[in-house]
Amino acid sequence: MTKKTIFSIILIVPLMFIISGCVSSINQNQLSYGIQAAKKDLWNEAIFRWEKCLKSNPNSASAHNNLAVAYEKKGLLDKAKKEYEAALKISPGNKHIKSNYENFKKARENTDDEKK
Amino acid sequence: MKKNRFILLIIILILSSCTSNEYWKVRIEVSQKPAVNLDKFKEFIITDFFVKKETKNFNINNELKDYFATELGQTLENKISSKEIPLEKEDVFKDEDFWKNLSVDAKESVLFTGSIQYTQETRKALIKKLKKEQESPFTSESKFAQRKFYTLQLEVYLIDTQTGKIVYKRNFRETKAYKNPNQTAYFAFFDLVKNIKDKLFAHMLGIKKIQERYIISN
Repeated sequence: MTKKTIFSIILIVPLMFIISGCVSSINQNQLSYGIQAAKKDLWNEAIFRWEKCLKSNPNSASAHNNLAVAYEKKGLLDKAKKEYEAALKISPGNKHIKSNYENFKKARENTDDEKK
Repeated sequence: MKKNRFILLIIILILSSCTSNEYWKVRIEVSQKPAVNLDKFKEFIITDFFVKKETKNFNINNELKDYFATELGQTLENKISSKEIPLEKEDVFKDEDFWKNLSVDAKESVLFTGSIQYTQETRKALIKKLKKEQESPFTSESKFAQRKFYTLQLEVYLIDTQTGKIVYKRNFRETKAYKNPNQTAYFAFFDLVKNIKDKLFAHMLGIKKIQERYIISN
C-alpha cells in the first residue's frame, strides 16, 4: 500500500462517521432544541421536541431520559417512570440516567409512605 | 506532511466533539399529592381539641385553635371558621354519630380536631469538661448542667360533617431541649407547634420539593 492509499483510508473512515452523524443530526437538533427549551423553563416545548426526537429515533436514551425529567416536572409520574425505564434499558451504564431514576424512585417512595 | 497532520487533528477534534456526553443539571419542583382532597369541602371548621393533660399558665386548647385558624386561613382558599365542641372522651373521634349529629350549618364541610398532650421535663447531669494540657490534673472540671425538655404530642383528625367519618388522621410528636432555665412552657409550645404545623401542612396539603435532575445530550 502506498502512502497515498493509507492517507485516503485515514481520511475516508472518519468522513464516513461524520456523514452518518449528519444523518442523525436532525434528531440531535430536536434533542438540543428540547434542552434549550428546558433550560429556559419551557417544559411543554421541551416535551414536544423530545417526543418528536423519539418518533424518529426510539433508541435515544437521552431523549427518553430528558422526557422522563420533563414528565416528572409536570407531575406525570407514571409516564416519567416508563421513560426512565426505557432510557435505562437502552443505556444501563449511564450514571446520569441512573442517578435520575434513583432520585425519582426515592421521591415516589416518600410520597407513597406518606399516603399510607 | 504538516498539512496532513493538520487535517488529522481537525478530524480527531470533530470526532471527539461528536462522542462527548454533555449534561446539564436542572432543578425541578417535584409535586407531591396531598394526603387528602380538601377541594370538595367548602368550609374548614376548627373545633376543640381533647386535652390529655391540662397545662399551667395558659389554655393550650384555645392557643392551638387560634394558631391553626390563622395558619390555615393564610394557606387554604376554603372558608375557615371555628366552632366550640367540648370533647369529653378520647375515643370520641371514632364515634361517627357524634360528629354527624352536630348542628353544623354548612354542608360539605370538614372538622379539624384532635387530641393534645404537652409535657415538660427537667433533666440534670454532671458534664465533664475536657482539660487543657497546662491545667492542673487535680482540679475537678465537672459541671452541673440542666436542660428543660418540652414535648408536644398532637393527634390531628379531619372529620367529614356529612358522614361523621375520619377523612384524615396523623400523629405528631415533637421534643425540644432548652439550655435557658427561664424558658417558659408558653414560648416552647409555639416552637413545637410550628414544627408540627410545617410537617402537617406538607403532608396534608401536599408540597413541592426542589430536586436536581440531569438532562443529557448524548
